[in-house]
Amino acid sequence: MCKWCMKHGIGQKWYMNAKNYSNQLADEYNLQEYLTEQWMNFEAVYIRKIAGLSSKGLGYKLQMPIIGKILRWTVERMIHGTVRHPNPIRADGHIGQVIPMEDAQIILSELAAEPIVETYCMCRKMQRGVNYQCCINFGVLSEVLEKLPRFIPKERAHRISREEAMERIEEHNKNGLVSTVWYQPFPYINAICNCESPECGALRLRNDFDLMIMSKAEYIIHLDQDKCQGCKQCVVMCQWNAIRYIPSIKRVIIDYDKCFGCGVCRHACKHDALKLIPRKEFGGFNGHY
Amino acid sequence: MGKTKIKIDYSKCGPEGNVDPRECAKCLNVCDPCVFLRHEDLKYKEENVYDPQHWKITAIWPSVCTRCLKCVEICPENAITIKW
Repeated sequence: MCKWCMKHGIGQKWYMNAKNYSNQLADEYNLQEYLTEQWMNFEAVYIRKIAGLSSKGLGYKLQMPIIGKILRWTVERMIHGTVRHPNPIRADGHIGQVIPMEDAQIILSELAAEPIVETYCMCRKMQRGVNYQCCINFGVLSEVLEKLPRFIPKERAHRISREEAMERIEEHNKNGLVSTVWYQPFPYINAICNCESPECGALRLRNDFDLMIMSKAEYIIHLDQDKCQGCKQCVVMCQWNAIRYIPSIKRVIIDYDKCFGCGVCRHACKHDALKLIPRKEFGGFNGHY
Repeated sequence: MGKTKIKIDYSKCGPEGNVDPRECAKCLNVCDPCVFLRHEDLKYKEENVYDPQHWKITAIWPSVCTRCLKCVEICPENAITIKW
């Protein structure tokens, strides 16, 4: 066993457990079939009726007095479902977490199962109508995606090596995209997305509807107030509106409640004022995911 | 803000209309909060299930609509109406 699975694992960082990436697990849960069925119908997942209701106008439905509460409970139960036979046309057990670039690179270099592919982001495709090559998938899902022509980029090779994948993650993070890692379905991990708001479906559900589909990272940003020169470069990088520039004190302030700990803002800072620290060590926000 | 109602006339856009959402997608591009969703039309049985050919657009998240009406302006078929 490699050092990563010995050191971490369940209870610490769930995505640092090699077992969750293994082909053996995928076979055990018969995921080839499941993922084919799910990805064939992915764009229609919001409009399909689940328990008599579709996601159309979900924001309004969640505001309804009693039905809203029941709906919220049902959706959260579905997302966090850890059932043995998940339903492919729902988002059963599709839970994710924000990860900083370094963790994503560890996953891609040591844990992810081959083959690794980079495909078109399905969220941007269905919500923005653009083909943007940034979703890194691995393991069984890669083979499933190869059957679906609409997700396969033609101009650029979609099968990539571990080193290329790590480079791409760095490129995306420096571009301002947030890396997230996904169970699909629980307990199999097969995707690292590079998300942005508002195209991303997960960010929509979490930020606009307060549904716990995606957790904040195990980290939180730390601003060294003395080092900040007030250049405002980090403000444009933040996908969460957590950084704001205050003219009277000539520096930025951080809304820690909104910070997801992705660390994307670090790449814009030329003065080394921003760094990630473990959420555990950050008093008030320990345990706030 | 009250409820925003976004209606799309499917006799103008989608498999039954003149415009294929896969090529047009102007409303998706122009919408800042990403209210629209482009998806395969579930009414049709596809010849190749891996590569569906019938696509339509649904206004899936009307609650985040900012009522800028840019989609109404840009739609080449005048298929979108917004009421509140």
